[in-house]
Amino acid sequence: MSAPAYLDCAATTPVDPRVAAEMAACLTADGVFGNPSSGGHVYGARAREAVEAARVRAAAAVGACAEDLLFTSGATEADNLAVFGVARHARARGRHIVTARTEHKAVLDPCRELERRGWQVTYLQPGRDGIVEAAQVEAALRADTVLVSIMHVNNEIGVIQDIGAIAEVCARHGGARLHVDAAQSTGKCGVDFAACGADLMSLSAHKTYGPKGVGALLLARRRGLQIEPLQFGGGQERGLRSGTVATHQVVGMAAALSIAAAEQSADSRRARELQQRLWEGLAAQGGVVRNGSEACGVAQILNVSFQDVEGESLLASVAAEIAVSTGSACASATDEASYVLRALGRDARLAESSLRFGLGRFTTALDIERAIAAVAAALARLRRIGGVCDTAS
Amino acid sequence: MRYSELTRRYFAAAADTAGRLEGAGVARGAAGSRAEGTWVQFDVRIDRAAADGPRVAAARFLAFGCPHTIAAAAWVAEQAVGRVPEPALPQSAQALRRLFEMPVEKLGRLLIVEDAWLAAVRGDGAKSEH
Repeated sequence: MSAPAYLDCAATTPVDPRVAAEMAACLTADGVFGNPSSGGHVYGARAREAVEAARVRAAAAVGACAEDLLFTSGATEADNLAVFGVARHARARGRHIVTARTEHKAVLDPCRELERRGWQVTYLQPGRDGIVEAAQVEAALRADTVLVSIMHVNNEIGVIQDIGAIAEVCARHGGARLHVDAAQSTGKCGVDFAACGADLMSLSAHKTYGPKGVGALLLARRRGLQIEPLQFGGGQERGLRSGTVATHQVVGMAAALSIAAAEQSADSRRARELQQRLWEGLAAQGGVVRNGSEACGVAQILNVSFQDVEGESLLASVAAEIAVSTGSACASATDEASYVLRALGRDARLAESSLRFGLGRFTTALDIERAIAAVAAALARLRRIGGVCDTAS
Repeated sequence: MRYSELTRRYFAAAADTAGRLEGAGVARGAAGSRAEGTWVQFDVRIDRAAADGPRVAAARFLAFGCPHTIAAAAWVAEQAVGRVPEPALPQSAQALRRLFEMPVEKLGRLLIVEDAWLAAVRGDGAKSEH
């Protein structure tokens, strides 16, 4: 039996061979293996040069200046650093944060922790299409609001938020900094940190054919942004993120983001054709609900709920043919149906019977046909077992 | 979620024994709720003219639920044939949980399988959604 077709690129992606080659050059004795903080010898100096070159390259790929970019262990750390870092620095000025119910847990959980520590958080309810309107943000802002955190591309439904409009609202307010989780954005849609007006932006490498274990936080220092660090001990990354910078990881991230920026248009065009074919094939099965905005979504994510089937059984039925994610409680790490789909107004059954198809650079038309066939067979079988299709025997 | 070999086998073959029985002498019972995530129905035909007393002549099931639920319902429908139509599963819910290596938090789903079987054998058709 052949391996299942990998359609979970919103969870993670394989490292692009071009990226892996650049990373490998930093690992062994004949490569750039030194500690970039060791300034007293050539090994450290070379590593330092590689790190700073990676910083320039990664920043350029997302429309940022090199001095705006801090390397982190991933987008989760970047989100935590953004939320806690801004909140702590601005606590004398205000203790109110605005975010959305459909944000990633890496933002929601820090917000909940801040609530436990006395901050107030407004959780915006998106529309049924997953869109958070700038007017909603504006209405939620208060004199003591210090941070707005809205993600660019939703990791479950692929909806793209209008960050520019939200940034304008925050700029008019004057005191609210805008943080954008853009972990899913690179390679899927254009990312321009300077142009979008955000104050902080979280990035990930492994969603974009880079390595796991590295990410970045962009900080608009020119706008006077300051944050407090979360970890101490070495003063790396301008004192905001202590710890030895992993040269091979940041070199890999820079390569991945650079390739993603160069190939995003072509990748997205191709993914859109595959997504359209996938949606048509799934919709033809009947009892199928598309989650998220079709008009304002990335081409690489398609989230669909299936009526009259149970989510865990659906996933188990297709697992031999395709690797996808589900909103089913039993199949995910947490004991709840997808809170994102629940926030869109889906009932628990539809939220649990959803599949998220994550298309990517290496997805083929054959993968899509295989997915359609697998889902069609599973739906027919499970609906028959469930008595939805009358099959007296 | 990892499934035992037995769960995978009965889940994969469930469509073969799923369905309804029609005609005289068929008792139907159901339990659970689709809205709550688990629903099971059994149809049982009892041969009351068998030489050694009443026997289950045929059993079919319908199920909306997780692979463990479907596998267990399929197993019960298969194992019941030829047995005395007792208001008890061929094995207890706890024993079935161990047999299928189900997580303990799924025991409630096996109790729904058990309730559906009891309802069918008693012929009270309890909680049928259809």
